[in-house]
Amino acid sequence: MAAFVPPSRLQALTKLRCSIFQTSYNPDSLRTGAKYLRARLRGPSLVGYYPERINISQIIRQNRELEMVDDEEEERLQDVIERRRRGKGAPKKAKNKGESRRLTKRR
Amino acid sequence: MPNARVLRDMKARHGARANEIARRAYLFVARNETLSPQVRHHAQLQLNTFGRYTRPATVKNRCYESGKGRGIISEFGLSRFQFRVKALRGELPGVNKASW
Repeated sequence: MAAFVPPSRLQALTKLRCSIFQTSYNPDSLRTGAKYLRARLRGPSLVGYYPERINISQIIRQNRELEMVDDEEEERLQDVIERRRRGKGAPKKAKNKGESRRLTKRR
Repeated sequence: MPNARVLRDMKARHGARANEIARRAYLFVARNETLSPQVRHHAQLQLNTFGRYTRPATVKNRCYESGKGRGIISEFGLSRFQFRVKALRGELPGVNKASW
């Protein structure tokens, strides 16, 4: 039969064990929030998810002396002009509240 | 040019990285039961002031080819259709069409 060991002795044992093995002594099992400090930072891997894309318009803007042309952008602008000529272009921006069509009732 | 949803996701990713350390510090205080309830409550209120594009939960893995948000095969970061297209073109090393 095991001899009776008072709880205070067991507590002291745990305390000693913690000091020897360098673990934190937390008899009430309180949440210390340590897991938020221990976890690795996820930022770098989050930012690196999408592969780098070349920003063509930025390169053109930075090297004006090379006189490069963004074909896709030119084509888009050409399409916009063409659409406007046929009366299919986007409406002009409203200068004030009264011009705004958003709140006026349409039938 | 990535679509608007991908751009928004990029914004969320950069915001999450920029605010990660501050958020962790507040989380540590707010979830720490050894501190006083007042301090923890204040930390929680501070956490609530962070904007939408600072939380890592806002970040969603989207297809890097088409920008789709659903049906992503996470190992490749592609939506299931883009995965098929690329695999058939032989652009994904080690991926073969099954045949037996």
